[in-house]
Amino acid sequence: MKRMLYIFFWASWIKIIIGQVPLAPPPLLNPVETPETNATDSNQSVPQPPKRSSQMETIKKAEMNLRHGEQGERVGAAKLLGKYPGSLSSSSLIGALDDQSPLVRRAAMVSLAEHFLNGYPVYDKSLVEKIFSKLGDPDVEVRREVSTLIPRLVNPMMRGGVERVVINGRQVLRPVSASLRPDLYALTQRAFLDEDAIVRQNVLKYHSYLRVPLPPLLLEKLLQDHDRGVLLTALDRISINASQPRIINEIEKLSKHEDRGVRLKIVDVARDCNRYHTKYRSILRSMTEDSDAEVTSMAAVELARFGEKINPSVIDRIKKYLLSAKGMSSQVTTILYAVSAMGADGIGVYKSLTEHGSSKMRTVAWQRYISLSNGWDKPKDWILALKDRDQGVRTAVVNTLRGRVKGLDQATLGSLVESPHDDIRKFLAESLINAEQDAVDEYAFDLLIDEDPNVRASTIRALATRRETGWLKIMERSLLDDEYVIQRAAMDALLAEPVRGITILKTYLSRNPGSRISSLIRIELQRSGVQP
Amino acid sequence: MNKNSSILLCLLFGFGLFKTDILAQDSKPPMPEDGLRIMQLMKNPNGVRRYPDALPSLLRMMNEQTWAKFDTDPLFISELTDERIFENPILYINCDDQTNLEFTAEENQALRRYMELGGFVYLDAGIKASFLGADLGHSYAAWEERPEVRDWFKEVFPEKAFIPLDRSHDLFRVFFKGLPKNADLKIEASQKRLPETVLSFVEQEKWPQGTYSFVGIKVKGRLACVASPICAMGWGRDEFGNWIPPISFRIRESAENFDENLKLASFTGGTFEVSREDGLKDIIYSEQGQRPAWVQEPNGRWRIFKYYSGEEISNYAHSFYARLGMNVFLYALLN
Repeated sequence: MKRMLYIFFWASWIKIIIGQVPLAPPPLLNPVETPETNATDSNQSVPQPPKRSSQMETIKKAEMNLRHGEQGERVGAAKLLGKYPGSLSSSSLIGALDDQSPLVRRAAMVSLAEHFLNGYPVYDKSLVEKIFSKLGDPDVEVRREVSTLIPRLVNPMMRGGVERVVINGRQVLRPVSASLRPDLYALTQRAFLDEDAIVRQNVLKYHSYLRVPLPPLLLEKLLQDHDRGVLLTALDRISINASQPRIINEIEKLSKHEDRGVRLKIVDVARDCNRYHTKYRSILRSMTEDSDAEVTSMAAVELARFGEKINPSVIDRIKKYLLSAKGMSSQVTTILYAVSAMGADGIGVYKSLTEHGSSKMRTVAWQRYISLSNGWDKPKDWILALKDRDQGVRTAVVNTLRGRVKGLDQATLGSLVESPHDDIRKFLAESLINAEQDAVDEYAFDLLIDEDPNVRASTIRALATRRETGWLKIMERSLLDDEYVIQRAAMDALLAEPVRGITILKTYLSRNPGSRISSLIRIELQRSGVQP
Repeated sequence: MNKNSSILLCLLFGFGLFKTDILAQDSKPPMPEDGLRIMQLMKNPNGVRRYPDALPSLLRMMNEQTWAKFDTDPLFISELTDERIFENPILYINCDDQTNLEFTAEENQALRRYMELGGFVYLDAGIKASFLGADLGHSYAAWEERPEVRDWFKEVFPEKAFIPLDRSHDLFRVFFKGLPKNADLKIEASQKRLPETVLSFVEQEKWPQGTYSFVGIKVKGRLACVASPICAMGWGRDEFGNWIPPISFRIRESAENFDENLKLASFTGGTFEVSREDGLKDIIYSEQGQRPAWVQEPNGRWRIFKYYSGEEISNYAHSFYARLGMNVFLYALLN
């Protein structure tokens, strides 16, 4: 019996595994009712959500609707297929681009764009060419979508390679050109002058990807376009034709355009095209008379970069523009830095800007003013910078001055020694190294007793370098200071004096063997070959 | 000058400026040399700002298009306990730019005091639908503040909650009214400004009469804080006046039999619930690795999400967001 049960069990199992018998659901003794329905006294069955189709079923159904449905169904199917990127849905959508209804064509095009944007491009060259051919669609929305999609169509469409053809019964491999099909080329050329401004703008933007040149006559027309977007895009495309007289004439006309943004763009264009024709520079010159201070300033600084002398009245306008600027926008930053190109004329501008409300502006102005005017030799000028309320400005100026300032005099030290800013007093202390003797005699002591230990340490180092009378005594006393930074400065100074300095250090060690600086002194002396 | 009087002074300055100038543009009374400064919170001052050109561009546009005068250089603060907040009446916070929205008790107390004294807080990206996840570049009109903002303001005003601003609120028409027309977009009158389906959705549902999903908190009867989906992405302009960066649209479209077809159509991603203006919930269906696919609306309607990009879409969105942003700041000044 046991053996029979064993065989029966294995036979059933093998059947299930091999699949010869369809699996039946286990019999339910008490079907349908769930605990929830038992909980209520309702006789209604629980509404079950409809079963969703598989992806393939959904696509197939949409494909059928797209081919054979009414217009509304075709539109819906085209929209739905956008959610299922893949070759099957792409092919159906591309087929729908020839639908007689513009609504279906629009929906198909938007769905194809969705595939591309989701990272599922169409690779087949002929299919992509089909999409691109819709640049000639009578419906403007379809044309807009296609023109927006050009950058994503370029790769598969412009791909070269080989194709296998049969000639006189023989299979021949023939090269396929990596250029646009002639009819599509002509279509693109026509699209430059499409009635819709967005299509014109897109084709202008992307024509070089398609290797379709923009002839001067066409460019001239586009530079007269009423649409601002087209015009600005056309201005980006003039370099190849920049030397053509008709283009230069258009640029000259546009330099008086009512839109300030367009005029600013002309400044950019004239600067870049200066190498193609001298007329561009005269356009820039005329733009220094522009009614807008920003346009004037941009034009003037570009001329200055070319080495031209700028009219004083224009410089004055630049100065006023920068003085009235609130904060450092990108334009203001460009102009501010470019003022350097005016050389000596720019010095006055920077000088005025040292009183600007923006600390960033003052920082740049002070740095440039000091550099351009060799200002480190003129303490009267930079004293004001060291009194600036903003630490960023002071730090930048100190960094500019450090190592360049020659012998500070008594008046300079006197005006800054009471500065409330530690960073400035520290700078003065460092500057004592090469300050005039009377200035040191007058103010070194004030800095030596400064409240800030870093200022005192810097003073000690400066005095040690100068070897002022009694400096060894100062160092000896400083070793007894509570601040480590002071002790360290004194130790460094004494180590540099091999006779008396070393003796002072040895004496200090013997009297203060446990102080914070003692172990370091011991190490340094041993390193110098002295047994402490 | 104490904190109370300084904030009041700033607000009065703004009020006076607008009562006489913006609403009656014929007269040009003298304006103070320095404009009103907007504060911007950056918890990490060295952190990355997603739209660095946005606020300065918007302030510049306001200076050009209205008689209000703003300093175009925002004042950055990194802590709400910064004393300078009591000197400036408007605080702008892009919630997406912050490392987190956790603040100390002192900061929350300072913020409460600031709002009680008349300060106005604009929480950009203070609304963010859950399905947007880490992709910060999206804007979605959910009608409730994001959970982090809710938790934060529970600590600032435990007794208050954000309430949705209805479409008729003054904030939406304080200066600009309605949606941009061709003249506003600087395109020819005959030019199609948007695809038909997009335009009808925008006009009827997305931004009707130039409104959007905003929630706010009133303090002493005054709207002292508003939160919106990210708007800063639409404020930036380059030096030539081009809008930056490009923006695309997500719109809902319907078609014949969608109520049946979408119910049965395959989807592989998750579903998300998002609050609507009427308080009911939309169920968003998504495909894995792709943007949301379609939506089941509480009235039983199913609609598909379609995504539109391109010059005209971007220009329109920018124009709308800029007008809306200007309305928010001008409303803050007037109230």
